[in-house]
Amino acid sequence: MRLFIDFVPVLVWALLAIALVVIMLLASWVLRPHILQNSDKTSSYECGEEPVGTASVAFPYSYFLYTVLFVIVDVMGAFLWLLAVSPLRISEAVVWQTFVFVVFIVLGIAFALHMLPQTLLDGKETLRLYRESKAAREQHDSGVQV
Amino acid sequence: MLMQGFEALFEQVEFIVIAAVVLLLAYLALEHREIVYSVFFFGFMAATVAGFYLLLEAPFIAGMQIAVYTGGISALIIFGVLLLPRAQGSSLEVLQTPRMRRIGMVLSATVMTLSAVLALIFPWYESFPADRPAIAQDLAGLAAWLWGEHGIYVQLVALMMLTAVIGSVAILKMEKTEKLRPLKDRPGLGSRDEKKNEGTSETEAHDDEHQDAKEAGTQ
Amino acid sequence: MIPLSWYLVVAFVMIGLGAYGMVTKRNLIRIVIGAEIMGNGVNIALVAFSLYNPVFSFTGQGLIILVISVTAAHTALALVLMLMYQTRYSTVDLGEPITVEARKSD
Repeated sequence: MRLFIDFVPVLVWALLAIALVVIMLLASWVLRPHILQNSDKTSSYECGEEPVGTASVAFPYSYFLYTVLFVIVDVMGAFLWLLAVSPLRISEAVVWQTFVFVVFIVLGIAFALHMLPQTLLDGKETLRLYRESKAAREQHDSGVQV
Repeated sequence: MLMQGFEALFEQVEFIVIAAVVLLLAYLALEHREIVYSVFFFGFMAATVAGFYLLLEAPFIAGMQIAVYTGGISALIIFGVLLLPRAQGSSLEVLQTPRMRRIGMVLSATVMTLSAVLALIFPWYESFPADRPAIAQDLAGLAAWLWGEHGIYVQLVALMMLTAVIGSVAILKMEKTEKLRPLKDRPGLGSRDEKKNEGTSETEAHDDEHQDAKEAGTQ
Repeated sequence: MIPLSWYLVVAFVMIGLGAYGMVTKRNLIRIVIGAEIMGNGVNIALVAFSLYNPVFSFTGQGLIILVISVTAAHTALALVLMLMYQTRYSTVDLGEPITVEARKSD
């Protein structure tokens, strides 16, 4: 209970942050002209052409690895922060344990960053795949038309 | 004496408010139509559960919960939603049959009933002892427990993170290899043409950088 | 003082909600969110048990730290598997590959 009272300023700060965002969004919703909601002005700009389909492009999946690396560094930071605020950080056995812990995780990150270019398609492979799928698409189209 | 009564009432009001917010956000996270809203509600719920941990006198775990869940896992799921554009369609939930919903409700009612029996009938302790150390000693004692006495578990966590990274890299490399030599197995899963289209659109996304190479290659 | 059974009721309601979400939903991301809600419920139960103890010890809190970090690694791998599901079956729906295959074999 005493801990919660100590953290009430954090709660007030969080509520103020949420209120700030909500008030800004509400204010812009009030001040916007409502005539735009159903007109052509809200469609995306395509240099004069009509936009077809959605704007989401297939993303290379390899970029997911960066988020995984962030979670791992986050967990490592939580453990190291716990050690850093205690008087135990200067005893010899704990220093060796910290060294082994950091070495394991850094080895993992180094492995991921070394293998990351191999998970993406490079230039020649991209070109070859593009040409193959374009040929297959044209064959499919001409097959359908015939 | 009045202060004691007021403090006890205050504590109960706090508990009820936080519990109501957590359960409301969990329900919204599962049931909202848009996925991005649902992931955001999940991140918000994780931050509110950290408030629960503060009520339970565990400040380090509250901080770690916000850092890992709201900062890490919520970002992971949002990244997943970004990479899977088909997940953003909101029409998948109309395909739920009432039978599935009934099975789900029966299962969760069973789980909740069994655990309610365990929670409310078994005589647990009503209050926690007042001889807990102060907060500054709390972190030092926790560090002594984790790094001092049970340091092997920390190394095991490091190995588990290593395994997660190596597994992710291996699966992503496998995915690239499948793109170069697509799977030729039994038809009928409805994915052959669409997978080629995915390969096409992915290569077209890289096409701008390789326009010069292509023109140099064709000339 | 809040009795322990209140905390346990909240924890088990969250576990029930997570179980319902994992069984009922068809979108893959919602199933991952249901699993995370269940994990949070379990963590609340663990922290509550570690506090209401006649003998004070740090075992509960240390265990929860390890559980949270293991859950983080598990979620990362689960989402990578979702990406592979999307690559393989071209959809994020859970019931669609089985339905399509059943329809094709008619």
